Amino acid sequence: MRRELRLRRVERLLLVAVKLLDSIDSIFRMRRLRPMLASLAISLSLLPAAAAQRESAMDLHGTARVGGRPVQNAVIWLDAPSLPAAPRVGPRVVLDQRNLAFSPHVLAVRVGTTVDFPNNDRVFHNVFSFREGKVFNLGLYPVGTSRPVLFDRPGLSRIFCNIHPNMAAYVMAVDTPYFAVSDQAGAFAIRGAAPRDYRYHAWRPGGMEISGDWTPSADRLAVDWP
Amino acid sequence: MTRYAARATLLLCALHAGAAAAQPITMEASATAGHSSEDAVSAAATQLRAFGDVGPRIHVYAEAAWGTTTDDQVDAFGAAYPYQNRPQIVETYAERMFRPRGAILGVKGGRYRTPFGIYAASDQSYNGFLRPPLMRYDGYFSISNNFLEQGADLIAGVPRLTVEATVGAPADIGSVHRRSGLDTVARAQAYAGPIVAGVSYIRTEPYQSPRFAHGRAEFGGLDLRVSYSGVELRGELIDGRPFAGTKTIGWYTDLMVHRVGMGPVTALARIEDLAYQTAPPFDMHGRRQTVGARVRIIQPLALQVNLIHQSGAPAAYGGQALDVALTYTVRR
Repeated sequence: MRRELRLRRVERLLLVAVKLLDSIDSIFRMRRLRPMLASLAISLSLLPAAAAQRESAMDLHGTARVGGRPVQNAVIWLDAPSLPAAPRVGPRVVLDQRNLAFSPHVLAVRVGTTVDFPNNDRVFHNVFSFREGKVFNLGLYPVGTSRPVLFDRPGLSRIFCNIHPNMAAYVMAVDTPYFAVSDQAGAFAIRGAAPRDYRYHAWRPGGMEISGDWTPSADRLAVDWP
Repeated sequence: MTRYAARATLLLCALHAGAAAAQPITMEASATAGHSSEDAVSAAATQLRAFGDVGPRIHVYAEAAWGTTTDDQVDAFGAAYPYQNRPQIVETYAERMFRPRGAILGVKGGRYRTPFGIYAASDQSYNGFLRPPLMRYDGYFSISNNFLEQGADLIAGVPRLTVEATVGAPADIGSVHRRSGLDTVARAQAYAGPIVAGVSYIRTEPYQSPRFAHGRAEFGGLDLRVSYSGVELRGELIDGRPFAGTKTIGWYTDLMVHRVGMGPVTALARIEDLAYQTAPPFDMHGRRQTVGARVRIIQPLALQVNLIHQSGAPAAYGGQALDVALTYTVRR
């Protein structure tokens, strides 16, 4: 904890230094120092989480069920408020359009992730999300091309194609690095979480979001919808 | 027809059996029921589709359709499928796509819609318009949505510019059938930002009787789609001859608006014009305007409403009509 506090102080100092440099930049032309210090601040801000992960990271395994039967495509995530926010420009993942279907049907991403929507069909698609979560309409684009969407806030986005009524997918953007999607057997694994008590949340297509608590003493996380 | 369908099904099964690791085939069924105030016509139709990958980049598609109407002289509900009151094989093909260094190279064999202009079934049948454009209706001396080719198709290019060419024989499923012979169809498509533009050419056999229709049918076409912020504007222009000594010029423009705040509603409008020029009294000039909406009630159920104003020849086109239809689609 002390180490984390010290690092945060250093981080704040570096950010103040960046602001100071902004103000005196024109006089002393110290532009080259600014990105270096900013990078250092970002690296330091990530250090506590990285250190915690290195020291005692674990994989949290579990099973998602509905009425006692395994359920595929359930999204499970853990609250992690003490972790730093995701970088503004995060990784890119793909939600494919092939054979008149979205693949995967359910995609979970961390806030700040850009999702690419390539069209791998010979016909046109018109991908949109209007209801909640990320609101967008990608328009028409032909085979072999792709359009990106940045999921910059948490929430569920329902993705449709305005040309093909049976095309539907879900993108769940979560504000935590700890999340997983259940497989055909309902099994999931959340990688690299620090061993401590967590508040978990779970959602599945056609079901309500449920929440609960999990402690490291429990062997597996059982997520059950009635 | 039956022999061809059996062969196609066998081919499909053989391909599927040979690719155990490929993703499963998707099955889809659509059912539509509708009513039009024009001659109080009612119609019902269903389509069954199977599609998916049967190997690395080998795509198969098979579709059968059945439809019936209380008056086959009215073109309501015939946007992309025939209403002959019998089951028909529509498209049945296998396609192999290659992507060398980001380029596009695809080969398709089987039976498929004539690749002229805006021709995909989903461009014509799911979008809320319940009638085909005049220039794409059976029997109007132009290129019908029910024209199919039985042959081989090649597409090549890069995503921004593709060229497609087909060599085949007519395999039409509507109320008119072209004479058998060798068809050549070519289409080029360019894409930049919100704009997709295409140019098409077809040389084929006429569907009219050889007693008076001599020579070959030959058409050129332009198509354009502009899509921006939930507003799509698209259209086609066709110019050519259905047979020697005649000429057909037609066009249509569609506006489809589906913006944030409209929720499940897509607003539609179409204006169109078709002129068939020949010796009187056989010439005709028809115009039509359509406004309407498609409402996605729940995901598989959509309501489509069209209000149509028609004028000019053929004589059946006069006054106004209200078309309403419900389409239900399920997928496994």
